[in-house]
Parts: sequence; structure tokens; C-alpha cells
Amino acid sequence: MTAQTRFKKKEVLQASPGIKRRKLADRIATIVVTTGGVAVILCIIAILLFIGVETVPLWKGVKSELTSSFFLKESPELASYSLDSPNTGTFPFLASGMDEYKEIGFVATKNGELYFLSLSNGKVLKKEALPNLGETEIRSSYVSQNNKLYSFGTDDGRIIPVRTAYNVTFAGDKRIITPQVTEDDILTIGDSPLVRIAFEENDGETASAGAAYTAGGELIMKTVAKSRGLIGGGGSDEATHNLTQTLGGGKVTALEIDKSLQNLYVGTDTGRIYRYNIRNRQNPELLETLDATGNSRIPVTALGFLLGDRSLVVGDEAGSVSVWFEVADTDSPGGKVFKKVHQLPPFALPVSDIVPSSRDRGFIAADSGGNINLYHATSEQKLMQLKTDGPPVMNLSFAPKGNGILAVDGAGKLYDWNVDNPHPETSFKTLFGKVWYEGYSKPEYVWQSTGGTDDFEPKISLTPLAFGTLKGALYALLFAIPLSIFGAICVSQFMHPALRNTIKPVVEIMAALPSVVLGFFAGLWLAPIIEKIIPAVIILPFVLTVFTLLSVFGWQYLPRGIKGRFKEGSELFFLVPVILLGVLVSLGLNAAAESTFFGGDYKSWFYNVLGMQYDQRNSLIVGFAMGFAVIPIIFTISEDALSSVPKHLSAGSLALGANRWQTAIRVVLPTASPGIFSAVMIGLGRAIGETMIVLMATGNTPIMDWSIFNGFRALSANIAVEIPEAPHGGTLYRVLFLAALLLFFFTFIINTAAEIVRQRLRKKYGQL
Amino acid sequence: MNKFWKSGDPFIWLTGVALMFSLLMIAGLMYLITAKGLGFFWPSNLTEIKLKDGSALLGEITGHESVKAHDPDGQEMTIERTQLKIGNRDLYGLDFRWVDDNNIENTSYPQYAVALERREWGNMYGFIKQISEGGNVLCTGNESCWAVLESQIPVYSGIYEEIKGIEKGVIGGINREIEHLRLEIRGEQMGSGRQDRIKELEAEIKEQEARYQEQEEKLTALYAEFDKEKIVMTSVDGRDKEMPLGNIVRAYRPNSMSWFQKAGLYASKLWEFVSDEPREANTEGGVFPAIFGTILMVMIMSVVVLPFGVLAALYLREYAKQGTLVRIVRICVNNLAGVPSIVFGVFAVGFFIYGMGSTLDSIFFKEALPNPTFGTGGILWASLTLALLTVPVVIVATEEGLAAVPKEIRDGSLALGATKFETTWKIVIPSAMPAILTGLILAIARATGEVAPLMITGVVKLAPHLPVDGYFPYLHLERKFMHLGFHIYDVGFQSPNVEAAKPMVFATALLLILIVVVLNLTAIITRNRLRKKYTTSAV
Repeated sequence: MTAQTRFKKKEVLQASPGIKRRKLADRIATIVVTTGGVAVILCIIAILLFIGVETVPLWKGVKSELTSSFFLKESPELASYSLDSPNTGTFPFLASGMDEYKEIGFVATKNGELYFLSLSNGKVLKKEALPNLGETEIRSSYVSQNNKLYSFGTDDGRIIPVRTAYNVTFAGDKRIITPQVTEDDILTIGDSPLVRIAFEENDGETASAGAAYTAGGELIMKTVAKSRGLIGGGGSDEATHNLTQTLGGGKVTALEIDKSLQNLYVGTDTGRIYRYNIRNRQNPELLETLDATGNSRIPVTALGFLLGDRSLVVGDEAGSVSVWFEVADTDSPGGKVFKKVHQLPPFALPVSDIVPSSRDRGFIAADSGGNINLYHATSEQKLMQLKTDGPPVMNLSFAPKGNGILAVDGAGKLYDWNVDNPHPETSFKTLFGKVWYEGYSKPEYVWQSTGGTDDFEPKISLTPLAFGTLKGALYALLFAIPLSIFGAICVSQFMHPALRNTIKPVVEIMAALPSVVLGFFAGLWLAPIIEKIIPAVIILPFVLTVFTLLSVFGWQYLPRGIKGRFKEGSELFFLVPVILLGVLVSLGLNAAAESTFFGGDYKSWFYNVLGMQYDQRNSLIVGFAMGFAVIPIIFTISEDALSSVPKHLSAGSLALGANRWQTAIRVVLPTASPGIFSAVMIGLGRAIGETMIVLMATGNTPIMDWSIFNGFRALSANIAVEIPEAPHGGTLYRVLFLAALLLFFFTFIINTAAEIVRQRLRKKYGQL
Repeated sequence: MNKFWKSGDPFIWLTGVALMFSLLMIAGLMYLITAKGLGFFWPSNLTEIKLKDGSALLGEITGHESVKAHDPDGQEMTIERTQLKIGNRDLYGLDFRWVDDNNIENTSYPQYAVALERREWGNMYGFIKQISEGGNVLCTGNESCWAVLESQIPVYSGIYEEIKGIEKGVIGGINREIEHLRLEIRGEQMGSGRQDRIKELEAEIKEQEARYQEQEEKLTALYAEFDKEKIVMTSVDGRDKEMPLGNIVRAYRPNSMSWFQKAGLYASKLWEFVSDEPREANTEGGVFPAIFGTILMVMIMSVVVLPFGVLAALYLREYAKQGTLVRIVRICVNNLAGVPSIVFGVFAVGFFIYGMGSTLDSIFFKEALPNPTFGTGGILWASLTLALLTVPVVIVATEEGLAAVPKEIRDGSLALGATKFETTWKIVIPSAMPAILTGLILAIARATGEVAPLMITGVVKLAPHLPVDGYFPYLHLERKFMHLGFHIYDVGFQSPNVEAAKPMVFATALLLILIVVVLNLTAIITRNRLRKKYTTSAV
């Protein structure tokens, strides 16, 4: 007895730490499950957040920061240049530029010296004099688009082109940049000083063209074609033209020649732009005279090309900035007109300079009050405004990588701004709206993210892709909704439960078929077959209807004895041979139908009568394949909704004398309609997000056309195709993230709506 | 007639049409894929077609169709034509040819026609002329050479295996070792810069390079052996083609084979399909690496998704305070199952590959930079993506299972003094186990069929190595891999010779469907058993 008590006591004593341990374990488990569970859920939600965060930079503006600024005269070498009367005529610094790393900049002076200086402290690193300048002075300058060719117009009527290069060498980890200057062949225009010049060389450096406005008021153009002999040497063929006559008395205020030596643009103080065709070097012709400022008293003050030299930026004395390019136009005799396409936010003062970016369709412009604006032409945005201390900007240049701006103001002060402008082309309008791209005849929704040339402009409207997604989903639903909902009505209302329990799992398995299989099947097997039997596909629904009605008719005359042997609903399996027969008959009628309805060749009939082009992989194929993927989803959910309609409703209806069909359509279907709605919504969600089927069964062309015989490009397929090639952090990469975000929202909203409707329905059934 | 419409039967039958049409589509799709997928391996007879212009073709008949055409008078007419797989890509350039039935003089099945499956240039159909070894003719004519051929093919297959073993195994290992040493040297140079250690490593590289030379010589000898015997085949149009016997994978004479022989060959081809590596830009051979990649990826995914999914479900159902917030979270989780898979793929690209991958690289694999190790697609990231994609499935299924455990059982356990953890761990989870497993199986089934997110997170058309091999650390999570679903997309849509690749795609599709359907059926059956169990236990 005592032993037993002692034993019990011992157990209790021992149990006490045991309980403690168990309690501790319980507490630890609670903590682990709670933190783990919350962490998993937060992680899932973080997905959305992460995708959203990746797209944020698309909307962010430009960041800029003045990295350094100093007066040029602080350097001993430049102290001698007078800045007493800062006007264009006497200002000693004519051009400026900088290297790719924004370490070294240069200024060119009136007396033909190039000073390379450190942009961080203004120390002169190297001085180069133009060797062939002679005794004269430089009057004007011109910067060619690629920023490596600077040309100077002299007082003795010559154009001196100069190239700058920056050689980069490494000493250990230190980068050493050595600037170099080389002079090109000099172009002699005449004897009088050149007030304005333009000079351009083609890519192969086999031809060049220069234009100059002289102090004598003459506009002279000169072209050179260099012919290279096989054994060195070779000659050059020059042609000079005086174009003064064509100007109609205006004074030239700006000149531009494009890099492919096709056009010369001349801006005048009468507000006009004269556009010459200089392709024929022997005979330049005036193509058209454009009223650029809308008022002959407002002079054109600055011209500049955008990257690619096809768009011309025009700035005038009223401060207005606009972009012009050639547009297809059927009314004009040449089929093309040069016209104003983009009007950008204006300055308050006259525009003094326009400098393009060599990265994108952006440019910087300055006014006479020392304001500098950064614009993006295609999106018509003013991205940023900078300001000098007050004096007007005399030289302006853009860093080769578009990440810095260098300016020299009238007081001889140099400003070096750092610009962080990763996504200049994105705005709500360019991503979703119609945009007028260079070379297009009107504003359009375009998706074309990559192109072959360096000056290609990515076109990133998500609208055609969203359109494609919706188009695909629409055709899929058009195919799936009737089949699945009628199928669900049939199974839930007119079939024996035993049959239902075998049919439902079969359809559920269908839902599990990998979409890549459906896509492959549709794209490689179905598409070529459908192409041959389009007329049969069109007549199939009619043939099937007729055949079904006939068989119902036959069934009604069948003796009752035979009918009674079938389980309710199983007589419908008779339809299997009927359908097969219907398909066969339709196929047999294919040729007949084609010649009766489509004049023997449906493709040309579609094209001539309906204006539709037939693509092999088209929306019809996608409709079939994606419909196939969506049918089981809609079927299962709406079947659930239909069969859980309380039985007393249909029993009541039948008891009052309604037949089975009337009961199903007028009583059961309306009651279950929210459930069917949510089924369709979930099906829509799946169709919107489907990737492989649309990727494989459409041609993936981003066109906006509702035609069922055309393909499309969907958001999802577009992401799958393009994200492997999109550079991390680039505009395309972020736009694709935005596309993913859109898809996420599309489906999330649709699914949530469906879920809420379904929950309401459940409550409703509870009350019935 | 009025009664006919009033009865409502016509409408009922029309709904029946909708249902039956859907069912017929499923059946038709399954039948087609099965027939085309399995039929591909059957050695069909070689048909010799003599055309009216005197030329002859030999090959397998693969299709028949009627097309519209215009006769010389511009009158429209239909032409029956037959598609023939003529093989001999090295002679003809094309594998397939359409023949107008009108042009056929006669067809026959020559007894001695041989089909050769080759390692290069696809199939060859023709007749054996002779087999020679270094200029000595060993045999001539169909009958005597057939015996030589049959006996020699296994020999050459053995040599081929040996060569592959050396190339992939031994030399691959040496290369990896050298690469490893190089990276270590770079690491030393970037880090401490111990010259003696670098010297040591360089010496090791030298040693490995010597080993490499040795193996290289062995290989040269084997290759010489491999190319020793040559076979000359005559095509049906009389052109001779000489090739090394080693190039032949399999030879058979379908026209003189019995049904059982054909069945045997069929089985061996089927086995090759599931167990061998792909040949000829994935259009021939097997899909073993793709099966392996798919399964491994799904396994890694399961290891990740199961604990986390169950943890989240346990929290939502057992530990969290039920209220509006939890209800909203539940709807969100439910809806995540409907979010397009490509969205998860995009997330993975941004977060896993460029985010975590690049960070891992800059910490642990600095010496390999700028070549990314984890900063590019790989099996780990693909598996994690699929885990994210399927975690809602597991959560929902587990929650359902947890909710189905009767409250009385829980209360009983608690009343007997068990803590909440003990109740959950020993009572609730075991009862909910079938539901959890159902969730996992459904997740696996979904993951197996998913392709879109994998395309951007690490699947490739041809991976040089399996993600698992005999070299430390055995499981290479950073490697790219092959996948059945992507194989279908790639071979069917990116392959240069789609017509020849089609049967292969059908076979792969069949395999994939089979895996997915079996997994789904398992899930459905488990679920039904589970329901039955709880309906009985609740009574």
C-alpha cells in the first residue's frame, strides 16, 4: 500500500516537468504555426506587391542633380577669353561636348582651340588647336547627330569638320580617358564668313554635304562624293549650289542636314521651313515650304533632328516646340507630306537650341532665359526643367548615354547635370493610348518592342495585347458557354444520378489536360484540318440541329416498351451516332456548301465579300482549344449550382403541370443563375490567363481586329515570348511586369466577383 | 406536331447534343493522341511505289488526303494523294513526299527492304549492297549481309555506349574538375592571393589535363574502331550510300517480319522512348531527360509546398481567430489558385532569378561571375515557382480536410488532457491526412502539366547534363533541365523539321497526359474514399 502511494507520488513528481515540457512544446508549436502560417500568407500577398514595385519606376519622373558647375575663366588657360559682351556674335565658346563616362568635357573657342577639361573640377587636361584654321576665326558651329562630328564655320568661308574620340585604357582598376581630335576634309564654301552652317557625312564616309548661310545673305550648299580607287588615292567629285533664290527673301536662322544626306531643312526668320531634296547631288530641289510657326512674324529659331534623323524638332521665337516628320498621305501628289505631329509644352521665351538624345526619341531644348527642358517627343512629355543662374544658354550638349547634360551659359559658367532618366518613353498614354509613332500615318495602338536597327523606337502600347487577351477569351467563351451550360443542364436535370456520377469525373479529368497538349493539338493538327473544312464547320451546327430534331421525332414514335428499358437520360447516348453521322454529313457537304455559299473558294469569298483575311492559326482555332480547356470548369461549377437547387422547387413546378424542359428553364435555371454566372466568370479568368494555347494556336501578331479568322497576341503569350530577352531593369522588362500586373488584376477581380456571387447564392439556397 | 414542341423533348435532346458533343470531343482527342502516339512505334511495312514516269519510291505510308486542284483546262477537280516517309535525308534532302495516286503505276512490299534507324540523318530505307572492313568486302547481297548486320549492331552499340561513357562521364568529370580548380584559383586571386596555394592548384590542373590527354587517346582508338566497318546501302532509285556500321542504331526488315517480331520491336522502341536520350534535335530517340527533369522538379516542389501549405492551412483553420480578416485571406488564397501561371513566372524571374539568384551569386559564386550560377533560370527556381503556384491548392485541400474532422474528436482529445499541439499533431492531422495527400496530388498534377512559367525560369530544349549526377553535391539545383511539356512545345513548334517531329510530339503528349490523368484519378479516388469515411464516421 505504502509502496503504491509512494509510486503514485513519484509519478506526480515526475509528471510535473513532463507537463512543463508538453506545455512548452505546445507554446512552441503555436508560435511556429502562427508565424509560419502568417509568413506563408504574407509571402503570397508579397508576390503582388513585388510585381507592382517592379513597375513603379515606369511612372517615376526624371531625377537630375547638378554635379558640378564652375566658371570657365577660373582655369588659367581660359582666363584670357573675354566675356564682357555676351551675345552670339562675340561669345568665345562655340561648342561643347563630353565623353561617355561624363568625366571629360570640352569647349571649342573662337580661335579654333579645343580645351578638354575635367568635369569635376574644371582643370584643363588637354588643349588641341585646329591645325588648318590659319589666321581666321570660327564664326559658327554644327553638331552632327551622332555627337562625334563637330563642324565649324569660319570667317573665311570654310567648314572644318572635327571628330573627337575618347580612348579608354585601364591602369589596374583605374580608368584613364585620353581625348583625341582628328580633322576631316575641309569644305570650302566661299570667301565670306559663314553665319550658320550644317554639315553631315554618310555612314561609309563616302559622301558629305554642307550648307551655309553667309554674312552676305546667301544660302550655299556643297556636296562631295569621294570615290576611292582600288590602289589608294581616288578623287572627289564636288558640286556647289546657290539656293538663295528659293528662299523668298527670308533670313536663314537654322540649318539641318540628315545623316543619310536626303534632305536639307532651312528655317527662316519669316517662320518658314524650306525642305530640299538633296539626294541628287547635282540638282537639289525645293520640295516644299512649310509654315512652321503659323505666323510669318515669328521666326524659326532652332532646328534639330531626333535620333534616326527622320523627325525634325522646330523651336520658334514664341517659345513653341514641335516635332515634324513625313507622313503617308493619299491626298498629296507625292503620297507623303511633311507635317507637324507632336506639339510639346512650350517655353515662355524664344527657343535657342535643340539637342537630341542619342538613346531615344528625347531631346533637350533651351530658351533665351537660361531654361533647359528635357522632352520626350513621342509621348509629348516635358520630363524635366533645369535652369542656369540666369544668363542664356550658349552651348548645350547631351551625354552620349543620355544620362547627363552639359551647358555653358552667357557668363561663361559651365554646368554639369547628372540625369537619371531610365524610362522616358512610358506614360499612361504611350502604354495604353494611341500614339503617333514616326513613320505612321496616324496615331495607333502598336506593340513592337524590338527592332533591327539602332535607332529603332520600341512601341509599347499594351492595348493591342489586352485586346488580344479579351478576344481570345471571348471566342473561347462563345464556344464553351453553350456547350458547357447546356451540358450541365442536361446532366443535372434530365439524367439519372448514376449516369451523372460517371460523367462528372470524366469531365473533371478533361480539366486536368495540360494546356500545352491542347495548344499543340490545336496548332499542329486541328488548324490545318479546319482550314480545309471551314464550310463544313459553319454548316455543322445546322446539320446537327436538324438531325437531332429528326431523331427526337423518331424516338417519340418508338413503342413505350422499348423506351421504358432505358435509365433516365441514357437514351441521350443515342445522340452519339447521330452526332457522328452529322459530322460525316457536314464533311461530305463541305465541297457542296463551299460552292453554294462561298462561290467555290471560301477564302477569296471571305476576302472579297467580308474583307477578312484567313490565317491558318486564328481565333477560331483558339476558340476551340481554349474553349475545350474552359468547358470542364464552367460545366462542373454550373452543374453544382444547378443540382443544388432545392428539389421542392422543381417538384412544385412539375406538380403544377409544367413539363421537364419548362421546369428546367423557368424554375431551376433562374434560381441557379448566379452560380452559372460565377462559373462563366471563373472560366473567363482561366481563358484570360491561359498562355500555352494562345502561344501555340495563334500567329501571335499584335493586331487589333475582331475577325474570327485572324490571330492575335495575348498578354500572357507576349510575356512568355519576350521576357527572356528583356534586359533586367529596362523599359521592356518593366512593361512586361506591368502586363503581368494587369493579368493579375483581371483575374483577381473576376475570381473575387465570382466567389462573392457564389457565397451569396449559398446563403440564398439556405433560405429557400 | 404541336405536341412535339410542347413536350419540351426537342430542347432536352438539344442540351443532350451539347453534352454528347463535349464528351465526344474528349474521347476523340484521347483516341487521336493515343493512336498517333502509340502508332508511331509500330514498324510499318515499307511500300515500294512505282510511278508512271518510271521512278520508284520506298518508304512508310504516313497519310492520305484529297485536295482540290485545277486540271490543265482550268477545271476544278479533286486529287487523291498519299504521303510517304521516304527517309534518306542525306540523299533526298526531304523526309516526306506527297504522291498523286493517279501517277502510281503499282505498289509492292519488297521482302528485303531494310529500314535503318541512324544516329544521324534520320531513317534510311533501301537494300543492303555490301559490308566491308577497311577495303575487304565481308559480304554482299541482302541475305548474307543481314546476318552480319544483325550480329554487328549490338557490338557497335556497345562501343557507342563506351564512347559516350568516356565523353560524358570520365572526360566530363575531368572538365568539371578543371573548371572547379580554375574557379578556385580565381577565388584565391580575388581574395587572399596566396601564391603557394595558386601554384598548387595550377599543378593540379596540369595533372588533370594529363589525364584528359590519356582519355582523349583512348577515345581516338574507340572512334577508329567505331568507323571500321562500313555498310553500303542501295536506295530504291539505285543510288549507293556508304556509312559506318556504328551509325546504325537499329535495323529491321518490316516486310518479312511476323506480327510477334513486330510486337517485340515495338516494345523495344517504346522502351527506347522512355529510357533513352533524344537524338537529331529532339525529333528522334527518347525523352528520358525530360521525364527525369519533370519528376525531379515536381519532387523538389512537393518538398517545399507540402510543409508550407499545411502550415498555412493549420494556421488559418486551427490557430487563427476566425473573423472577417481570415475570411478575406481565405478568399484571396482561393483566388490565387486562379491567377495565371505566367504571372507567377514573371514574379519568379524578378524575385528569384534577378533578386535572390544574383545575391547568392555575389556572395557564394563570386569567382564565376560574370557567368551567373543561380542568377539565371534553373531547376530550383522553376520548382519554387511551381510551389508558389500550387500552394493555394494544398492550402484549400488541407483546410477542407481539417474542417471535416468532427469537433467531438478534438474536444475529446482536449478533455483527456492533451494540449492543443498534441491534439493537432496526433489526432487532427492524421484524420486529415487523406485530404492533405489529395491536395498534394492535385498540386503535383497541376505542376506536371504547367509549362508557361517554366519557359522563363529554367527549362531548356536540350540540357547537357541531368540535374542529378555522381559528382558532388550530386543534386545540382542551379542546372537547367528538360521538361515533357516544354518538349512538346519545343519539338512541335521550334523544330526545323516539324513533319518528322510530329509523331514524337504525339508520343510525348500521350506520356504527359498519362502521368497527369493517373495523378488526377488518384486524387479523385482518394477524395471519394475520404468522403465515404467521414460520412460513415459522422453517423
